[in-house]
Amino acid sequence: MQERLDALLSAARTELAAAADDGAMEQWRVTHLGRRSEVTGLLRSVGSLPREERRAAGQAANAARRELEEAFETRQSELRRGADGAQADVTMPGYPVRLGSLHPLTRTLREIRRVLAPLGFRAVSGPEVEWDRYNFELLNIPADHPARDMWDTFHIHDKARPGELLLRTHTSPVQARVMEQIQPPVRVIVPGKVYRYEDRDASHEAEFMQVEGLAIDKHITMADLRGTLTYFVRAMFGPDRELRIRASYFPFTEPSAEAEMSCHACDGDGCPVCGGTGWIEILGSGMVHPKVLADVGYDPDVYQGFAFGMGVERIAMLKYGVTDIRSFYRNDLRFLRQLR
Amino acid sequence: MRVPFEWLRELTGIEASVDDVATRLTNAGFEVGAIHRAGEHWDRIVVGEVARIDPHPNADRLNLPTVNTGSEEIQVVCGAWNFEVGDRIAFAPAGARLWDPYADEPVLKELKPTRIRGVVSRGMLCSTKELGISDDHEGILVLDPDAPLGQPLAEALGGEVVEFELKANRPDALSVLGIAREAAALYGTEVRSPIPEARPNEDGASESVVLGIDDAALCARYSAALVHDVKVGESPARIRDRLEQAGVRPISTIVDATNYVMLELGQPLHAFDCETVRGGYIGVRTARPGERLVTLDGQDRELTPETLCIVDAEGPVALAGVMGGLDTEVTDATSTVLLESATFDPISIRRTAHRLNLRSEASRRFEKGLPPELTVLALRRCVQVIEEIGAGRGEFLTADAYPAPSDPEPVSLAFDRIERLMGVAYDRSEVRQALSALEFGLEEDGDELRVTPPFWRRDVTAPADVIEEVARLVGYERIPDTLPTGQVMDLAPGEIDERDDEVRDVMAGLGFAECVTYALTSEARMARLVPPDLLDAPPDAPLGDADAWAEVRETAMNDAGRSLTDRLLPLDREPLRLRNPLSMEENALRLTGLGTMLETLRANRRHADRDLLLFDYQPAFLARDGDLPEEPNFLTAVIGERVSADRWNETGTVELPFVRGVVDELVARSGVPTDQASHDDLQHPTFAAGAAAAVTYKGHLLAAYGEVDAEVAAAFDLDERAWALLVDMPAVRAASAGAPSFSAWSEYPSALRDLAIVVDAEVTQAEVQDIIQRAGRPLLQSARLFDEYRGQQIPAGKRSLAYALSYAAPDRTLTDKQADRAHNRVVRALQHRLGAELRG
Repeated sequence: MQERLDALLSAARTELAAAADDGAMEQWRVTHLGRRSEVTGLLRSVGSLPREERRAAGQAANAARRELEEAFETRQSELRRGADGAQADVTMPGYPVRLGSLHPLTRTLREIRRVLAPLGFRAVSGPEVEWDRYNFELLNIPADHPARDMWDTFHIHDKARPGELLLRTHTSPVQARVMEQIQPPVRVIVPGKVYRYEDRDASHEAEFMQVEGLAIDKHITMADLRGTLTYFVRAMFGPDRELRIRASYFPFTEPSAEAEMSCHACDGDGCPVCGGTGWIEILGSGMVHPKVLADVGYDPDVYQGFAFGMGVERIAMLKYGVTDIRSFYRNDLRFLRQLR
Repeated sequence: MRVPFEWLRELTGIEASVDDVATRLTNAGFEVGAIHRAGEHWDRIVVGEVARIDPHPNADRLNLPTVNTGSEEIQVVCGAWNFEVGDRIAFAPAGARLWDPYADEPVLKELKPTRIRGVVSRGMLCSTKELGISDDHEGILVLDPDAPLGQPLAEALGGEVVEFELKANRPDALSVLGIAREAAALYGTEVRSPIPEARPNEDGASESVVLGIDDAALCARYSAALVHDVKVGESPARIRDRLEQAGVRPISTIVDATNYVMLELGQPLHAFDCETVRGGYIGVRTARPGERLVTLDGQDRELTPETLCIVDAEGPVALAGVMGGLDTEVTDATSTVLLESATFDPISIRRTAHRLNLRSEASRRFEKGLPPELTVLALRRCVQVIEEIGAGRGEFLTADAYPAPSDPEPVSLAFDRIERLMGVAYDRSEVRQALSALEFGLEEDGDELRVTPPFWRRDVTAPADVIEEVARLVGYERIPDTLPTGQVMDLAPGEIDERDDEVRDVMAGLGFAECVTYALTSEARMARLVPPDLLDAPPDAPLGDADAWAEVRETAMNDAGRSLTDRLLPLDREPLRLRNPLSMEENALRLTGLGTMLETLRANRRHADRDLLLFDYQPAFLARDGDLPEEPNFLTAVIGERVSADRWNETGTVELPFVRGVVDELVARSGVPTDQASHDDLQHPTFAAGAAAAVTYKGHLLAAYGEVDAEVAAAFDLDERAWALLVDMPAVRAASAGAPSFSAWSEYPSALRDLAIVVDAEVTQAEVQDIIQRAGRPLLQSARLFDEYRGQQIPAGKRSLAYALSYAAPDRTLTDKQADRAHNRVVRALQHRLGAELRG
């Protein structure tokens, strides 16, 4: 009995060492551990042995079976770990996984929204084709005002109402639209496409994205504007950024301010990104002009607040180190994949 | 506006450096765009004197001046003749660097000794262009006779010019005096106004000219003076230098004097040759029908009735505030000049200048609105300048026609209003000091402040304007950082739909790269979306006319195609067109993004080595009568190639069902029950026949997809196959059941049965699926197609479909027998209804 078991074990081990895949393993299992295997046959035959031999034969056969089972488990885990138990080559590339990508402008817009949401700013949108009234008149830019030169405008052919339809030159008309419809407190940001009648070059686009911010309440101050902008540039460009503002002019704000942040590339030491000045112009802003408030039906003696506006491409260019604004609209996959 | 820094210094007495002044003015809102240091490269260029001029032995058009630099005499070869012995000139010895006047781009070149027609030239007499001062290359620069010999030119010419980028609200800043006032306020110095005291004869009457203003709304004030004994000639170097540095070309004494005063005080003046003014009358009125004027540029212009003109007794002599007339121009023969200094209506001037495309230094100032007080002051100063340079003798007219005097309105505000707006406290003394420095009149009544702006600050009309003056004079760096507090706002109208974010995420998750494309496109680009011969459209109607489209709808489309044309691909509609396109390539707003996306696909074909799966999710623009256009967000996806991976091995495959898989996932994620959306054959000329489908839900078109028609693809320069997917996301949203709802599944194991049948090729999968679903009730959980086969192993005209079916009961484990019984019902139904045969 023991001899037969030894021979059987030895043969089974040799075969097991040669089994290299799941199929061979299964075949081995059926041959050596299945219902018709030799070990099973031997176990069954124990009953027919003389009573005094039964106990030893039974123990020997069971031990052999356990040994075969263990050998099988060991080999199985060897195979799972790698062929012949060798270390897997972890430098093999992964199987190709194919996710697509979001456009860098979409990612930048989302980041701006995410940064400003905790301050209570809700994101709203408005029409890209606008009435002159919302794009200019309600923003304290009457017809024939020289300030109109600040926005080169695309006009739309419209026989019924000539001169009234245009492509919005900024997202600011949405300020007026929101304020016309709801009473303060107002706290919105307005992302969206805007249009300028302007030849394209590395730093100018005829179509680009802006984000507008507007906060109106009874006691929103210029200091709140400055604090919001400081919070914004630090959230977008890192906690070490400094903000500075200087006097400027926009028809729809008074006082108006141009905001600059210390250069994120050189920490303000001066480098090509900031043109050697250490500062980067980042947005225009100011306290909403009382005339704008009055024109939408707010009492400018009660309500006040701030507005700011920035170019999304400019933020994205700074964040990703893009030097030509037109790259965003060429949709070259090499560009889109890099910035995914 | 370019301001010579020494001029600013002269009017302010500021001793700080140009950089410091530029920074402080910029921070106060007077943005400095650039500081031009004309002398930066003039390291070796000095003031020289022409000691002798010899003729060139070999060339009549050249001469040989010898220049005395104070330390040596150097002979050069020169081609210019506008100098004499004794003139002081700018001399560049060999080794100096000069701007190359013949290069297209600014290039500095080092001067070397050269032999010109046999004579060695060891230096050069410089023109203003070579020095980089102006574009004038007509002759060499002759300096003031007092310029010290041998002095570096940079010192002699005075150096820096500050270029301001001024804002539309400050007409006063378009003058050296205006900027000087601001700078003096910032530095606490006194402005040294160049405006002379009133002259005793200022009210004197003249019999020679009568003035008249027809419409005081268009001309608030018209002042004039006569200049007798006029000497037209070259102005002194001091005047010419300042004009040139400010970017104004010197012409002759009288004209230079008017330009000088315009730069200095901001008031444009115009000089008429008085003898050419007919009838002793000068008036201001709008043009009459048929009137014409030959302007200074020689153009004979017909005047529209809204054009504001200066007229004499017989007709127009100048376009008010825009351009003078040729007939009354000051010439060498002029002996008496009439100087005009007027306040014209800004809107009228702006319109005329825009209409005629004549925007000048004068019109730029008028259109920002000048104060009437300035006319007489500027006239006084101009007469003074003319007399100083010996170009004539002034006589004032009574001719100050000022029909409607007006003063700036005072503005009242409470002191604490400043803190309320700015969020920072200012001392009252600071407020007073800032406003007084800017020459505002102040009166106080307890906590109330009454501010009267000076006449040149008509932009200040409200408390916020006054607060801005205080804040910027004190400096914005005083403003601290705080965060807004208070209530959160209610839901806003037009709130951005976060589901739009999800659409982008789903598409990116499915392997597509998001593109952001231009909304501006061309009609031609959209017209290329149908095969070229289909519409037979004339070139002026690139999208085709209504009749042609009616026929296309009838003959080249089925119902699905027509329904697609109604909205999602509305090529038969008029697009919104631009009145002023940048080019014909972008003259309209898009009706669909498909054309632009096919171009993007084409552009990426040239170099892409991976998937070509692109999408764009931006609005289309659909015109509506008398209203703003509708701007629905349409999803446009294009597919050129897709690789699927088997371990590391990548194989390219795109077939229609891949596109359907994308649309199904997108629609399902938007909450539309996909099993209830139907996919039907789509016939539309943009898509290949027999390879496109329309997706509808309860009769509404949600999407269309398919292979792009080969001719259309070729029109976009695509020679490989391309697929397109268009989704009307607003329609998908409308069909959405909202948030998905939970339904329980069976906790008992499922019984799986595979089924392969052979049916007629015309039988659609939808029909088979429908029969399986009905017959399998109630135990059938799902029937998933896993293969389709057509070919040699089955008869022609047939196809085989294979499904994996899953059966389960909610309350028990199915026995084999129960599962078999349910499955057999399905098999029998297929055999009975479709004549399907089971395939081994």
